[in-house]
Amino acid sequence: MIALLPWLVAVWLFGIGLYGIVTSRNFVHLIGCLSVVQASTYVLLLAVGYRGGAGAPIFYTHPPGTPAVDPVVQALVLTDIVIGAAVTALLLALALQLHKRRGTLDPDELRPLHR
Amino acid sequence: MTRTARLLLFALSCLVLAPATLALAWHMPAFGAHPLPYGEAINAVATAERHVTNMVSAVNFDYRGIDTLGEESMLLCAVTGVSVLLRGARGESTRARPGRVHGQPLRPRSTAMTLIGRVAAPVVLLFGVYVALHAMSTPGGGFQGGVIIASGLLLAFLGDGYRTWRRIVPSHLMDAIEGGGALLFALSGLLGLLTGAAFLANVLPFGEPGSVTSGGLMIPINLGVAGAVAGGFAVLFGEFLEETRVELSDRPAGGDT
Amino acid sequence: MMHLLPPLPVAGPLAVAALLLATSRLLPARVPDTVALLTVLLATAACVAMAVGTAATPLTYWFGGWTPRDGLVLGVGFVVDQPGAALAAFIGLLFAATLVFAWGYYDEVHAHFHVLMLLFLAGMIGFCLTHDLFNLFVWFELISVAAFALTGYQLRQSALEAALNFTVVNTLGSYLMLAGIGLLYARIGALDFTGLGRGVAAHPGDVVVAAAFTLLASGLLIKGAQVPFHFWLADAHAVAPSPVSVVFSGAMVALGVFGVGRLTWTVFADSLPVHAVVHALLLGLGCASAVVGGLMALAQRHLKRLLAFSTISHTGILLAGLALLRQDATAGMLAYLVGHGLVKAALFMLAGILLALCGAIDEITLRGQGRALWPVGIAFGAGGLLLAGLPFGILQHGLGLIDAAAHAEGRGWVGPVLTVGTALTGAAVLRAGGRIFLNLGPDPGFESRAPTEADREKADRPLWLMLAPPAVMLLAAVVSGGPAAGFAMRAAGQAMQPDSAHILGGPSLPPTPFPAEPPGTGLAWISVAVAIALAGLLLMRHRLPRRALALNDRVSDAVVGSMARLHTGRIGDYVTWMVFGLALFVVSFVLT
Repeated sequence: MIALLPWLVAVWLFGIGLYGIVTSRNFVHLIGCLSVVQASTYVLLLAVGYRGGAGAPIFYTHPPGTPAVDPVVQALVLTDIVIGAAVTALLLALALQLHKRRGTLDPDELRPLHR
Repeated sequence: MTRTARLLLFALSCLVLAPATLALAWHMPAFGAHPLPYGEAINAVATAERHVTNMVSAVNFDYRGIDTLGEESMLLCAVTGVSVLLRGARGESTRARPGRVHGQPLRPRSTAMTLIGRVAAPVVLLFGVYVALHAMSTPGGGFQGGVIIASGLLLAFLGDGYRTWRRIVPSHLMDAIEGGGALLFALSGLLGLLTGAAFLANVLPFGEPGSVTSGGLMIPINLGVAGAVAGGFAVLFGEFLEETRVELSDRPAGGDT
Repeated sequence: MMHLLPPLPVAGPLAVAALLLATSRLLPARVPDTVALLTVLLATAACVAMAVGTAATPLTYWFGGWTPRDGLVLGVGFVVDQPGAALAAFIGLLFAATLVFAWGYYDEVHAHFHVLMLLFLAGMIGFCLTHDLFNLFVWFELISVAAFALTGYQLRQSALEAALNFTVVNTLGSYLMLAGIGLLYARIGALDFTGLGRGVAAHPGDVVVAAAFTLLASGLLIKGAQVPFHFWLADAHAVAPSPVSVVFSGAMVALGVFGVGRLTWTVFADSLPVHAVVHALLLGLGCASAVVGGLMALAQRHLKRLLAFSTISHTGILLAGLALLRQDATAGMLAYLVGHGLVKAALFMLAGILLALCGAIDEITLRGQGRALWPVGIAFGAGGLLLAGLPFGILQHGLGLIDAAAHAEGRGWVGPVLTVGTALTGAAVLRAGGRIFLNLGPDPGFESRAPTEADREKADRPLWLMLAPPAVMLLAAVVSGGPAAGFAMRAAGQAMQPDSAHILGGPSLPPTPFPAEPPGTGLAWISVAVAIALAGLLLMRHRLPRRALALNDRVSDAVVGSMARLHTGRIGDYVTWMVFGLALFVVSFVLT
């Protein structure tokens, strides 16, 4: 059962983040929920690369050949983090501009072209 | 759709998805014990082949360097987008007063704040440079170092206020560092082509494992990343901080900090 | 020489974009325009050269010189095949036409527009050429981020709202894709298409593989705007600056479908459950998108929103062609992709001309305003007729191939259903054209209740400069039919057997012979006739007897009105439909 836990955590984060987005009443909260969804991809990728009893894939003090976790998924997660930062910055800029123009951040009151 | 209808549809879909995800979790490979041929191959050969001890950096800057070039470009894109979205409405002017929340007085900065800012900023900057430079040997690298450098610059804002900060970190300089960093990365890739090897081929001497000068072509790539990230985040901070300012004519005179 | 080319059309634009950004403050006006256009043309030339040079065998390129060792891929590779290179070249041409169309329009903000466009282009070309799943994702994400920024470029309120919806939904799509990559990596431990394909073949009927396909395909279908993932598109394409909408509708959306194809042909080439789902669910979604997009297009009055819904409809046709999983259908899909890109890009440019010269985008406001712009009107009408299925040119060849393939598969209903989509979108465009350029249709029907807004773009360019690119593209779509279909057939053969001999060994999908006779034009003429009749009916509403009018209103409200009410513009609804789409995948995996 404990071996299922990482996968279940990832699924839970994805689902609860989606629920937050679906029910959100504030765009800043919604952007936070998007980050929760993203966190599930971190959990999934890092869990995929985990190796029981192994250390970090850095052979500065340990010689190469010491058991280490997968460095590839860690590199992927680094890319994922940059994507998260980039998208969050863009979304916050959009939300800021929108708040200036509409005075509201409720996604249900914002409807492109509908007026 | 009403909110109720929306929630019903969501719940219905989740009812279908829940058993499927449970089945998926059940059939996933054994946690921490399944084979990882790709990662293990890199762990096995990278130190011998590239004289670096940080495997993640080896993947990022060498084995899968083209991914990182794409990712740098993505950051460039997002920062340019934020500049367009915020600067486009505000204009280029930086002659503005601090905005204020209605009914709240604008307090002068405390001496303690200035002291902490002035003490912490150089330390944080130095730490950022340290993390960036040791990409090939210990945890860290251009991304992490670049972000730390950008936050170190931000401390100048907390400690010495908007004017000083703007003088140290003018946005055109940050644009240049950001674009220049990405350009350095792309040009490092072209270096391989000039020598007849592949794009991003590591054609420089690899250096001594564990030292700052190990990694060959990864060194300029890492510096490029550090520049692009530091410059990019500094621009982001700058654009958002500018949003806290108001035009000179908008409000009656207040204390300028 | 050829072997040096693959990295250049990606790295070149990236480097130039970085250079433009770093020096933007020093550059005089028009320099960014010139530099960007030159870069795009050079990248296009490289792609054309590769498309010509890869006729016999694809070109494999390992970045950093990391050639595989003992079958294990350590680096990232591009495998440039004819479909990928030709698609990249087409996208390059589209960008060049767009930059000519937008010449001098974006002087004000430090070359930011050109930086974003070059990054956008580099992402798309990388997406077409790559042979690595995570690398594909990186380019996909670069495309997305550039698109997000460009959507909100004009900073108008609805542009910001649409950009928010677009960003949230598409970013969720990216995370779905990334999760799919994680699952495949967990099961197989590789990221290159060849290694993943081998791994998938070694795990027949695996739940993890099925889940990975679900996640990857839904992520790409969000970008491809297919029912029920399509809602964001109409919002975003309607409000983006028209040069940007040109690229969105002409290339970006189609890349989503092409991406699904790429994965189905390579990574999942040997997974029978995945093929069954593609054959059933994706075919259904494609047909549904064709019809829904057509109906929604007919219900619009905002010209760009109308064109955006028609893009959903035509992208549905692409997905249906893909889902038949036959060489002739794939050839039809590739030909239709290019044809639709040309025609839709031209129509968006014509809409941009109206925005600039008439200062409006609303069909009803613009009624009769276009009479002085008769060359624009002629081009607009020609575009509408081509969308409706006029049997001249590349669009008709593409659809004919798909129809013939569907018949051969015993799914003769596919062709007629897709024709409903072409007839509806054609009717919508023709109705708008008749109203704007011929001053017809004084009594608007259900379209008058559609969302709209006042909008305009700067009129700082001469008409001939703006009209030349769309005219050339429409002409290209008409004259390129036969040769393009033949080329698409060869390209489809390569696309569906990418791992033949020199990479993997052994064909994965059976080749299908080229149909002996050219596709029939019967359906096409019916489609054009229906489109003209429907447009005429909608424009002549005021001449109808009262009873017929009442019936017309009741039917249209039942069909179109109920569907229009689902397109709410609310992000919560859109994400709910996305989750519903994921559930559809699960159900169809269980059923097939």
